[in-house]
Amino acid sequence: MKTFTLNNFIGGLLIAVLLATAALGLFWTPFDPMKLSFTARLSAPSVTHLLGTDEFGRDVLSRLMVGAQASVWIGFLTVSFATIWGTLIGLVSGYARGWADGVIMAVNNALLAFPGILLALGLLAVFGASQYGIIFALGIAYTPSMARVVRGAVLSLREREFIEASRVMGNGELFTLFRHVLPNCLAPITVLATSMFGWAILSESALSFLGLGVPPPAPTWGNMLAAGRPFIQQAVWLGLFPGVCIALTLLGINLLGDALRDRLDPRMRGLK
Amino acid sequence: MTRETFDNVLLSVNDLSLEVAHTGIEVVKGISFDIAAGEIFGIVGESGSGKTLATRALISLLPPAIRVTGGSVRYKGRDVLAIKDKDLRRLRGAEIGVVFQEPMTSLNPSMTIGRQLEEGLILHAKLSPEERRARILEMLERVGIREPEGALAAYPHEFSGGMRQRIMLASVMLLKPALLIADEPTTALDAVIQRDVMELMVELTRAEGTAVLLISHDLPMVARYTSRIVVMEKGAIVEQGRTEDLLDAPQHAYTRKLLSSLPFRGEVRSLDTSRQPMVSAQNIVVDYAGRKSLLKRAKIKRALHGVSIDIHEGEVVALVGGSGSGKTTLGRTIAGLVKESEGDIRFQGRSRDEDWRDYRLNCQMVFQDPYSSLDPRMTILTLVEEALRLVPDLDTAAKRKRASETLEEVGLNADYASRYPHELSGGQRQRVAIARAIARRPRFLIADEPVSALDVTVRAQVLDLFSDLQKRYGFSCLFISHDLGVVEQVADRVVVMQDGRIIEEGDRDAIFDNPQQDYTRRLLSAIPALDQNERGGVTLKWRLEEGL
Repeated sequence: MKTFTLNNFIGGLLIAVLLATAALGLFWTPFDPMKLSFTARLSAPSVTHLLGTDEFGRDVLSRLMVGAQASVWIGFLTVSFATIWGTLIGLVSGYARGWADGVIMAVNNALLAFPGILLALGLLAVFGASQYGIIFALGIAYTPSMARVVRGAVLSLREREFIEASRVMGNGELFTLFRHVLPNCLAPITVLATSMFGWAILSESALSFLGLGVPPPAPTWGNMLAAGRPFIQQAVWLGLFPGVCIALTLLGINLLGDALRDRLDPRMRGLK
Repeated sequence: MTRETFDNVLLSVNDLSLEVAHTGIEVVKGISFDIAAGEIFGIVGESGSGKTLATRALISLLPPAIRVTGGSVRYKGRDVLAIKDKDLRRLRGAEIGVVFQEPMTSLNPSMTIGRQLEEGLILHAKLSPEERRARILEMLERVGIREPEGALAAYPHEFSGGMRQRIMLASVMLLKPALLIADEPTTALDAVIQRDVMELMVELTRAEGTAVLLISHDLPMVARYTSRIVVMEKGAIVEQGRTEDLLDAPQHAYTRKLLSSLPFRGEVRSLDTSRQPMVSAQNIVVDYAGRKSLLKRAKIKRALHGVSIDIHEGEVVALVGGSGSGKTTLGRTIAGLVKESEGDIRFQGRSRDEDWRDYRLNCQMVFQDPYSSLDPRMTILTLVEEALRLVPDLDTAAKRKRASETLEEVGLNADYASRYPHELSGGQRQRVAIARAIARRPRFLIADEPVSALDVTVRAQVLDLFSDLQKRYGFSCLFISHDLGVVEQVADRVVVMQDGRIIEEGDRDAIFDNPQQDYTRRLLSAIPALDQNERGGVTLKWRLEEGL
């Protein structure tokens, strides 16, 4: 079995590096990420400051390491929020059908009509900008698309004969739902959840860029990217490195997501 | 293997071999045959025999992964495999027409019938729009489309499967090809419509002098219409010859096996039907709500019009009828998957609704499609074990033991226990489905077309298994099928349905030998009566020809 393909390996490696960096950032960074140093303002990458410093003389590498925590945490919680609620809503809506489905999908479609980032902006304006505000806002913004995907999968699954077979065996609706329907929805859920992780990191960056993200001075990749914008001519590293971090993380997550989906599907086991 | 020679050879295949390009697995192994102008020629084989790929090669329409490794295909003396794409396009359609298996997907759903039929004529014939229209209308009339004018502007979804296959046939025959390749043209249709479409095809091609290459797994059907047959197994031709000779005295073991796999009439069993029935459904009415719109109330579509059926202890009752007859709906209603609008269902004398738990424990179902009836994420053993989950008085160990024993019983040994459904063949999957249904030792089993998705030889094995288990456990069974051949083998009693009503019922022999209703006769005329001879061959007798 070819589980150890190059793609899986690269994906795994990138995510391992990300998690390790975020974990390391908890205990140790080369410099204090908050410490200002006016003598070292906007210095280019060098042996002392591997990735250079920003306009206040703070070490970019240290800030990226700490920022990784925020990004991973925000991504993880947002995706969990949207996946759990979206899956539950989708399952109920697709399996119950009838008026429950009608109401749920009406609300869902109304939410989907707003671009996710706009919805998050609106919610953040209500809740105020903070790390958990972002998670909550993005979570709500992403839930409808997850609900839609799960509902679609459930609608096609519930017509399959094995669902009827389960009913003929006398299994209750809930048992059937969690034993037969949910596991067969895992493939689309995994694919969507992994790409959502990417979107969440990106959206957090975008929100921070717009000034509605995690408030400074706490570093996130997004607000670092935003802060680097005015200096793009003189100090390209300020925008470049957070951008590269985001790009590599997304790449890693997508590769790993595909591998995970194949791993979870017994039908892929036989393919030698 | 003898190969006759003709003067008027239309298509000649010589030593044709195909392989899957990147694996080198040979899928067609040096096959040779000739088709004469105007003759009807048959290729018979089970799934995986290479019959479809072989015929695709005849018009150079192979999937990209398949490579020709040797041999030649000559059509009117020209090598089809060597000619250029441009000439090939002139050949396809105009000279060689193809009717595919699946009428639901072989017509473009977003084009009107008129435009689809016109396409070929525009490409291959120089005619004015008026002439084209006249030709199309005439052809639609000939294939039995009631309002040809209206059909021109209609879309494929407005027609039933049988009608679509007629339209498909019309579109191919419009161009008056010299050869018609028909790949399982009627497999997706029910028995009566299947016969009508075949008769139409034979009639049309005979009138135009078109030769037909008929490809099917259904040996009696092919035998009925063809003059010569080749039998393929695992990519090779194992036998070819004149149809009568091949049926009468098959030379190859595989041909004999195919013939002996055809369903034969089972023995008459004496059953005690004086006691109260095991399952009794009285005056069942099922209504489906139609589409609701803003101003109109939902129109109700009645699927069953007050149907009554009794199934006695140990009895196998076959429910037969064409598609849309309501037989599946009745089965699903008795199983409790469809709610009846009116009527009463009793199990062992008590109302079914009184004790659902008991009913669920004692009534099980085998579904039609073994690819869809097993949860793809569960292993074979857990699938069967799950059926025992709600059985009282069995601990986990006992359940596991019972599940493995049941798997043994259906012929799947311990090696299969940890496999997933996708790792099994269709026949093996259906065995799992049967194991799952009988693991609880039900008193009553509903089998909805349990063998219609299976190959001929596999079907025979699964039917034997079913009969064995039925004898061993003595469960009552409602056996739903459109295939009267299968019914003749397993049923004690036959109930015929049409348009949501029961039109005839009686003991199997009475129905098969002396049907009273016209519709029953039509159903029966689609299947042959078989007489086995000592050479391993059979004589096919087509029933009740004169009555039609």
